[in-house]
Amino acid sequence: MTALLSIRDVSVVLPTGGWFGGAAPLNILAGVTLDLMPGETLGLVGESGSGKTTLARAILGLQPISAGRVRFDGRDLIHSAGFKAIRPRTALMFQDATASLSPRMTVGDAVTEPFSIHGVAVRNHRDKAAELLAEVGLPPEMATRYPHELSGGQARRVGVARALALKPALVIADEPTAGLDVSVQAEILNLMADLKDRHGLSYLIITHNLALVRHVADRIAVLYLGRLVETGPTRAIFAEPRHPYTQSLIAAEPKPDPRKRRADLAIRGEIPSILRRPKGCEFHTRCPLAEDICRTTPPALKELGYGRSVRCHFTETTTEGGRHELEH
Amino acid sequence: MSEAVLSVENLSLRYRVPGGTVAALRNVSLAVRQGEVLGIAGESGCGKSTLASAMIDLMGANAEITSGAVCLNGCDILSLPRAERRRLRGREIAMVFQDPMTAFSPVLTVGAQLVDFQFNLDGVTGREKWSRARDMLARVGLSDPDLAMGRFPHELSGGMRQRAAIAAALLMRPAVLIADEPTTALDVTMEAQIVHLLRELQADYQCAIVIVTHHLGVIAELCDRVAVMYAGEVVEEAPVDALYHDPRHPYTRALLSCDPAGIEAATGRLPAIGGRLPDLSDLPPGCTFAARCGIATDRCRTVPPPCVALGPDRSALCHEVAP
Repeated sequence: MTALLSIRDVSVVLPTGGWFGGAAPLNILAGVTLDLMPGETLGLVGESGSGKTTLARAILGLQPISAGRVRFDGRDLIHSAGFKAIRPRTALMFQDATASLSPRMTVGDAVTEPFSIHGVAVRNHRDKAAELLAEVGLPPEMATRYPHELSGGQARRVGVARALALKPALVIADEPTAGLDVSVQAEILNLMADLKDRHGLSYLIITHNLALVRHVADRIAVLYLGRLVETGPTRAIFAEPRHPYTQSLIAAEPKPDPRKRRADLAIRGEIPSILRRPKGCEFHTRCPLAEDICRTTPPALKELGYGRSVRCHFTETTTEGGRHELEH
Repeated sequence: MSEAVLSVENLSLRYRVPGGTVAALRNVSLAVRQGEVLGIAGESGCGKSTLASAMIDLMGANAEITSGAVCLNGCDILSLPRAERRRLRGREIAMVFQDPMTAFSPVLTVGAQLVDFQFNLDGVTGREKWSRARDMLARVGLSDPDLAMGRFPHELSGGMRQRAAIAAALLMRPAVLIADEPTTALDVTMEAQIVHLLRELQADYQCAIVIVTHHLGVIAELCDRVAVMYAGEVVEEAPVDALYHDPRHPYTRALLSCDPAGIEAATGRLPAIGGRLPDLSDLPPGCTFAARCGIATDRCRTVPPPCVALGPDRSALCHEVAP
């Protein structure tokens, strides 16, 4: 099976200027390689500042890339004349659903706007809007409302309807449930799962919520400072995370069970500034296993088989023993 | 068991809105004792933040308390004159807000603000206030407190700002610390660190802490006792272990069951509660949760439920629970 989306060595470097031109450029993404198969859900996880949203924007051509290539359905997405043809087949669900809707457009206008943008003829806008709203479980009367009249969950549903308008193959969802209550979150995720089954969608879900990604993603990719540190099938990664960063992210998630309180912290400190990328392995400043080699030599992404790869010098030792050490 | 430091007794509060009133809190009674961490859980719109702001007497101008009292060490703070209440705030009761960026003024340095916050500390020189502020920043885990004192709030990262906000709240050694969604704006790694910090600080200062959050994981990690709110009422109150392992109110059960972090096996379809919160300006006659409840009977739809005592420190507002 060929990948629906294939990202090869994508880097995003922004110049920082500086009066004498001597300032180091900002390396927001550093050689990210990922594949997304048709019908697959890929979860992109990492702390804020790890480059998740930049990668999504780069995939959609909203952020110029400095190196590498993005191919969608076998065709080059960027610098290509076919971009306009590919664009309606990809859609983005924005992080802040209410803010992503124009306050002066009714819900009905918002969900049918993609048709006019892409010059797709629609016989009856009202019927089309009602059809799209029904798809996401909203009543047709909702079409005359304005965004400020919607609850958070309803705005999210409108965002889904708008993303689905042009029958895309790939939907990129940036924090699809941020700011929602748990019960509403479950409704939105179930809706996304239903739509995936019905329309054969592929999802790229960007989130820092690991509890969520565990239930919805087939595969996950962990980013740290714009670099991929671990990828693999979700189940395998949660059962046995190999990179110390993945291990500490999983351990940091508070469990809704007072009997599983943690005695100690899984991870200390904050993600370093991208202006001062650590030398060697970028995670060494927070890594409990770091040794001299980590401070000097950047590790390569190692294939572990079964679709897993990890970027760590101590891949062999960061199995059970390593995790044990992290937890205690 | 020690006396309650802060207690809320039969508090009812409503907001005046165009075309009527919204009954945001109805007969809420809660108490937090010295050295205890009380969690207030619930979904948005259930009145948790209104309750937190009523505890520190920072309600909006359209809020109106229709009955009840908020007592600090046995004294009703709502009946005190304005100036007295203002003196208590920050000194006896302090608050940490969800968004630390809006809790600080953007035009003053963190240090200047931390000194200002000690305005009603008598007989201490400015220099002493500065060093108290600096020591408190070091205590909350800022690695370079001297540098942070000179920084503006926007120059600090989200986690550092929240630490500074906690330092600001603790400067006056308050008897009660109220934290409204203290970790919601943060990453998981920073959330874990802030939870850990609050636990350490609580052990050091022995103050009472009230944590308001919708995050059930944070409550499980941090609290001794939990009050679950729904549509402006406390529907269940219990010690933390009992609440998570033997929830009694149907809403608590539903809420716990749809938290994806609590579901061990990976599942593509998550349980949801279904339905929505009742309209607080036009409440149903019986139990407010009846329309979404799986075990509701006709009685639930017509008669308001009683508060059933279920043992020490435990109660639920439900017709269908047996003591």
